[in-house]
Amino acid sequence: MSGLPAGGLRTSEQPWRTLDPRTIAVHCTWMGAPLGSLALTALATGGRLDARAWITLAVIGAVFAAVTTAGVVTWRRTRYRVTADAIELRTGLFTRSVRAIPLHRVRNVDITANLVQRLLGLAVLRAGTGGGGRGGELSLDALARPEAVRLRAELLARAGAGSTGDPVLATADLRRLRYAPLTFWVVGGVFAAAGAVWRVLDGIGVQPWRIGFVRRAFEDFGHSALWLTIPLALLAVTALGCVGAVALYAENWWNYRLEWTDAATLRVRHGLFTTRSVSIERARLRGVALREPLLLRAGGGASVRAVAGGLGDREANRRRSLVLPPASRGEALRVCDGVLGEPFDPAGLTAHPRAALRRRAVRAFAWCVLPPAVVLAVLGALLTPVLLYCAAGWLVLAAPVAYGLARDAYRGLGHGLRGRFLLVRSGTFGRETVALDRSAVLAWTFTDTPFSRRAGLVTATAAVAAGEDGYRIRDMNAGTAAAFAESATPGMLAEFLEHGEQQPPIKGFVRSS
Amino acid sequence: MARHGQTTIRLRPPRHGVAPRARRWWTVQAWLTVTGPLLLTAVTLLVLSLLFFPGALPWLGPLLLGVLVLPAAGYVLAMPRLRCRIHAWEVGGSAVYAAGGWLLHKRRIAPLSRVQTVDTVRGPLQRAFGLATVTVTTASTAGDVRITGVSDEDAERIAARITEAARLAPGEGDAA
Repeated sequence: MSGLPAGGLRTSEQPWRTLDPRTIAVHCTWMGAPLGSLALTALATGGRLDARAWITLAVIGAVFAAVTTAGVVTWRRTRYRVTADAIELRTGLFTRSVRAIPLHRVRNVDITANLVQRLLGLAVLRAGTGGGGRGGELSLDALARPEAVRLRAELLARAGAGSTGDPVLATADLRRLRYAPLTFWVVGGVFAAAGAVWRVLDGIGVQPWRIGFVRRAFEDFGHSALWLTIPLALLAVTALGCVGAVALYAENWWNYRLEWTDAATLRVRHGLFTTRSVSIERARLRGVALREPLLLRAGGGASVRAVAGGLGDREANRRRSLVLPPASRGEALRVCDGVLGEPFDPAGLTAHPRAALRRRAVRAFAWCVLPPAVVLAVLGALLTPVLLYCAAGWLVLAAPVAYGLARDAYRGLGHGLRGRFLLVRSGTFGRETVALDRSAVLAWTFTDTPFSRRAGLVTATAAVAAGEDGYRIRDMNAGTAAAFAESATPGMLAEFLEHGEQQPPIKGFVRSS
Repeated sequence: MARHGQTTIRLRPPRHGVAPRARRWWTVQAWLTVTGPLLLTAVTLLVLSLLFFPGALPWLGPLLLGVLVLPAAGYVLAMPRLRCRIHAWEVGGSAVYAAGGWLLHKRRIAPLSRVQTVDTVRGPLQRAFGLATVTVTTASTAGDVRITGVSDEDAERIAARITEAARLAPGEGDAA
């Protein structure tokens, strides 16, 4: 950010400046609604206005005159200036008041504009001390947009925000909409909407299958060429889901803005109809989670969640801690950096033992591939041999998919230390890379089962008073888990550690690799 | 990755085991919660079958044995024994350490400086055996340390030690 403007010297002799005169026009926008309704009346009556309409028009005219006069006077009496050490705003018709905020206390400078202001090329600049309440804020309503931008840069450059770099981490970006279809809502949304419609119809006593055209549509569907219509129907559902997901995303993340409003508060604001705003104190911010669900990951996207305490219960925390909606992975990493204040570098994490891959493969096979195959085979043996072929086909198709997913899950496993942070990565359907502040770890838990003990694996859980409360490092090497935990939180485990021979793992369960 | 013969750093088990009475407590608990109900169900089904469907006995008998009787017996025999071997606790100079579980082993360590409260709970059954459960809570639900099956005197000593140590420990504002 460049420092002082070319105009140079800011002394207390700095002249007072006025707001942009177009502000007065903005004040008149309230007339839109009554004038519009009047125009509609005129249209409906064919231009013949009755007495009531004339009275309304006269009232509007009088109010217009009054408001405009007030606006002009307010505009003339409102002055601001930036002196060597403060930003000052002088207002008031009869009682003059001057509000001054020392520049070193300015923590956040916002620029906003509503639709009318945007059309007129205006913007409102708000400078705040972050102290909360109206007292700590000063609002210049409104400036020409270039002037607002220039002033904001100047204020931030001279403010004592002490921030390195831009306090605004991310803002709304239409290009992000392309990641909307890569969320669960593509399919889930359609069913949710269908369910909602069904319930409404059911509630008012309408039984959809009794309605003629619905039944006819179903009958036609049954008689049509199914090999063509079923894929078409699926395609239509997917397209509908995509549209719904994009609409939902747009409503939810309109006007999105993630920023450090001051050195100690991270704020995320978004929403079109409902504006949601969540402020997270830095003291309660324990880290970030980079979330890459399978679909989003395939599309090169990711979303970011803050690992923070004080956001309510688990559900509320999940809902409120999202600081970046699905966006490109590069952008997500950048936001992680900005939230942590340190580079977030998930590359090169320590991989987990091969036994973890075997566990995942066995689990996928035993829980997802085998049961349907067994059921089909048993039914086939009892009823018809066709089902036996089905069982074989299922095995041939599902086994590679299951192994691929297991392999992906294994590749996702990783842990490591990066500066102040402990990094943990796991998951395949919902891959998550979590950076936890090492000083926020309250406790360590080591869990193992008979199976994992034989494989020489252990799951370590770092407890924090934030987010999901416990973050698991799944299937670590049992021989190094304690040492890793100790190095992550020096001194916590020291007195319970002993140096000794590692027990050789039972043959046949752990291959050396 | 198998590094045979190499010295490694391991987490040793906690120093103090549970009270010897705890095994009887766990046995009674097993009878009351799992073994008793399962066996009762098996007996009921068997009696009903004898009275009304004698023909079902040849397949119902083995089924009940496999599904109800053997698991019930296995649980009451194995659980208390394994728990006695695994459950242990230790209050060190700067942290509290507890191990628990029977099939699933869980070892948890929480620094005393992060301790928020120390609760001692005695259920009716535990009171009959003179036992107690000490729960040390931290700010995170994933960080609560439970020490189960210690004698009353031990529980009091543990609670007093941890409370004292937590008071003296340099308090970390974000945790407390």
